[in-house]
Order: sequence, then structure tokens, then C-alpha cells
Amino acid sequence: MDRSVNSATPAPRLALALILAATLAFLPAVAAAHPHVWVTVKSKIGFNADGKVVSVIHDWVFDEMYSSFATQGLAQPGQLVTRDIFAPLARENAGGLAEIGYFTTLKIGGKAVEFGPVKDGDYWMEERPDHLVTFHVDLHLKTPTAPGPYFSLLVADPEYFIDFEFDDNDPIALVSAPSGCSASIAKPKPLEDQDKQKLTESFFTNLAPGSNFGFKMASRVIVACP
Amino acid sequence: MIRFASLRRPAPALIAALVALAASPAFAQLAQRPFMVGGGEGGGGASGGLTGWLIEMQSQLTRLIAANVHALHSDPAAIWGLIGFGFAYGVFHAAGPGHGKAVIASYMMASDRALKRGIVLAFLAAMLQGTVAVALVGVAALIFNATAMEMNAAADWLALASCSGVIAIGLWLTVTKGRALLAALKARFAHRAALAAAPVYADAPWRQAADLGAAVAFRAGPPDGVTEAAAGDPAACGHAHSPDPAALEADFSWRGAAATVAAAGSRPCSGAILVLVFALAQGLFAAGIGAVFAMSFGVALTTGALAFAAVFAKRLAMRMAAGDDSRIMLAARGVEFLAALLVVAFGLALLFVAGSGA
Repeated sequence: MDRSVNSATPAPRLALALILAATLAFLPAVAAAHPHVWVTVKSKIGFNADGKVVSVIHDWVFDEMYSSFATQGLAQPGQLVTRDIFAPLARENAGGLAEIGYFTTLKIGGKAVEFGPVKDGDYWMEERPDHLVTFHVDLHLKTPTAPGPYFSLLVADPEYFIDFEFDDNDPIALVSAPSGCSASIAKPKPLEDQDKQKLTESFFTNLAPGSNFGFKMASRVIVACP
Repeated sequence: MIRFASLRRPAPALIAALVALAASPAFAQLAQRPFMVGGGEGGGGASGGLTGWLIEMQSQLTRLIAANVHALHSDPAAIWGLIGFGFAYGVFHAAGPGHGKAVIASYMMASDRALKRGIVLAFLAAMLQGTVAVALVGVAALIFNATAMEMNAAADWLALASCSGVIAIGLWLTVTKGRALLAALKARFAHRAALAAAPVYADAPWRQAADLGAAVAFRAGPPDGVTEAAAGDPAACGHAHSPDPAALEADFSWRGAAATVAAAGSRPCSGAILVLVFALAQGLFAAGIGAVFAMSFGVALTTGALAFAAVFAKRLAMRMAAGDDSRIMLAARGVEFLAALLVVAFGLALLFVAGSGA
């Protein structure tokens, strides 16, 4: 033990040492877990006759690992899992959607709209011929909302257990939209530059990460209705 | 029912309370997170270039593992790729929140001598974790042809057992380390009192120490800050909550060590379950088992390395507090006590955050 380091101010030094040790203990907190489930998203945005937004219809295609997991034990070998067989798992998944905010943020006029509860018949799960599992769900806005000049749709798991990504070819469709409305995809900003600078800071501020990390990684649909 | 006396022996009462909590509808409701995979493992992440990179690495590795399972159909040599990528996955994976922090917290308390033994225990915990995943999927899926929902339920129970075990061990450590801290404080005040030769003051610090001691002894839970930090971390429900070597330093018992390994290793890893079920679906369960144990080796490697970092941190703390023996002892005991509180916090985070299916 190097006693020459000893100074005349024992208490602050001791506190400093403890803080340092605690910081080292938390260091791995900045290292992240990662998504376990990958979803390819195809969404439709539905409008009513008045040109107001009334629904978001999702078709989510799961990666092959989760698909294997979901279909395990449900069908005879060589057979695909039908919507009927999937009904209990679909119900369980749909049942938890509200709590997690439907993984869907539809912002119109800067405000996130509210969705009504998902009812039976609004959703189903099914195994495709290529053995990937799809989940379909219709989300209905509580109140039909005029689109304004533009609005945005984000599909993301805030906790980033699930990585949602829009389909490359067919990410978004507008159903009975007023003429002139168009949709485009905005990719997430790269994390590097801005966040590298913040890394030191995030040692402390992000000890509780994950509150919105999924949002940061998500693509966004921008719909313009000029 | 937690009686007052349970402060001394918190484990049985606590486990009873946890089981009651888990059986309650609130927990069942929380557990219905959509598209979850058993093991209660969190996703999440913090912002930062390093983090983004780690996430990307793990995502890539998952895809490579899947690709190698596919390749096995035509190319037996793909098993080496599978094992290699599985190992790398384990290394990166253990660097994530759940593994690292809890491990460090426990290893903060390590001494040189216990370090070696601790690495052995961390290794055993990682292997047990792999074995539990293999056993779960092997028995549930292969033998009983269980569904995803049934496997999730089974994994949740294992996770709950693991959480309860970690909390119980943490509380036990908190009590033990709290007492040790108290003793160190007394020794420190006694030392200072002896230095302050004036007999008038000699008595005062003793009273102060006793007051402080009462507060410490009744503080069964972690301080607010610690709870928040850990509870807000969805992924803190990792797996390798590591053994506490310091507790073993003085009177090491293999029974206590076995309990710690069991608590740390009884929670299967979501990633391992996915790989196993996927391999099973491909008719390559054996290859899946190989990949999972490769992952376990990777996890053991990283947690072992983190254990060294923890020892370094503790040494640093002791060095910075360098002075007479009573001060060094106080620093060491302080670190140990904090670490014990952290173990409790990890256990609680595990239960309430990741236990909710995140």
C-alpha cells in the first residue's frame, strides 16, 4: 500500500475513492444489450371519407429465429401454423400491445394520437409458406384526426427488445387518402457523431438506458398532405 | 409476511413474499409483453458510439449464427463457424448490462485469493446457465413438444427463482457487510478518538458511531439512487449474477458457493433459447447445444475479465484511502457494503423490470 499518497483530507478522498469504484462498477451499464427479435414492417394508414386519419394497419414479419420459437409445438411437421392455431399466442401478444403503446407513434400536428383497444378480429398471426411468422393488427384512432400539412408514423419498441424496420420495397401505403398526400421514409440519424461526444455524460445519465433507445434507432414515415 | 425478526434471516420470508407477488395478477399482467422470449431478458441500450457498435455486433452475430445453422445442412464444417460466432456472441453479450454490473458488484468484494475461486464460480454459473437453457428447450420442446407460451411460462419461473435467489443473497450480504462496515467505523472512530488525546472528546465519536450503525442496520433495501439506476435498466435482468467471493474469503463453504452459482445460473438466456429452438426446428438440435455452450464460454470469459476490473477498482479505492489500517479497512468495508446493496438492487431490477417480460 502506497501510504505516501495519503493527504490531510481523508474524508473527501475516501468519498472520491468510493465514487470511483462505483463508477467502475457501472461502466458496463453503457454497454448495451441488443434486440432479440427482428420485425419487418409494412404499414397502411387509413383515411375516412372526410379525409381524416382513422387507422393504422400493420403487417409485421418476424425473423426466422422468433418464427421458429413462435411456431414451436403448434403444427405437425410439414404443415403451416394457421391463424386458428395461432389464436392464443396472437391474443396474448395483442393483449400486451396497449401497455407498450402499440409500438406505434402516430404524431399529427406534433401530438401523438391515441389508439383504441385492440379487439378480437383486429389481429391475427400466421405462418407464411416461407415459414416466417406474420402478425397483423388494425389500430383504430380513438378520434379521427385531420392530417394537417404533414404527420409522422414511427414503429419502434422503446426498450429495443424488438428491432422494427420498414420493408425496403413496400414500407407504407395510404388507403383512401386525400389526393396529393404522399409518404416517404426517413432513416434514423446516425448515432455516432453527436452521441460519441455525449458518451462521458451518458455514463451517468444513461445508467437507466432503454427508455427511448428503440425510438432513436427507428425509421420514420413522413406523410405530407399539402 | 415479513416479520421484524426476518431482518436477521431475510431469505425465507423474502422468497415467500416474492412468490406471492409473482402469483399475483399484477405480475401476470406485466408478463404479457408482446412477442417476448422466455428468460425475461431485456433489450435496451444506452446511446453512444460504442453502444451502437456493440448492438450492431450482436445483431450481426445472431444473423451469422442463424446462417451457420442453415449452412450445416450442406456443410458440416459450418459447426466451427457456429461455435466461433456463438463464443463471440457470449463475449459481447456478457458485456451488456445484466451480466457486467451484477458481476462487478459482487466482485467488488473480491480479494486476490477469492478472485481465482470467483472466476471458477462465474464459469460454473455460465455453464449452468447454458445447461438450463438446453434442459429447458430439450425437455419442453423436444420431449413435450411445448409451445412458445409454455416455454415462456417455464422460463419465467426459472427467472423468478433466479431473481429471488439473487435478492436473498444480496440481502444476506447487506446484513453481513453492514455489520462489518459498522465494525470498521467503530474501529476508525476509536482510532481517531485515541489520537485525540483529550479524554473529553474520546467518548463522543463512539456515540456517533452507534447512531450511524443503527441506521445502517435497518437499511435493508438499497438507497433510492441505486434502486432507480438499476430499476430503470430493463436489461439489468441479465444472467450471470455472480458469486460473492468475499463472503467466501473468511469461511468458504462449497454449499454457499453452490447456492450462489444456482441463483446466478438458473435463469436461461433468451438468446440461447432462441438459438436452441431454431436449431431444433432445423433438425439440428445438437448443433444448437454446441452453439449455446460456446456462448457460455464467451460469457464466462467476459465476466472473468470484469471480475479483474472490479478487483482493480477495489484496490484503487483502498489505495486512495491509504492511511492507517483503520482507514483502509473502512474503505474496503464501504466498497463491500455498497456492492452488497447493488446486488440487492440488481435482484429487484431483475424482478420488477426484466421480470415484467422486457
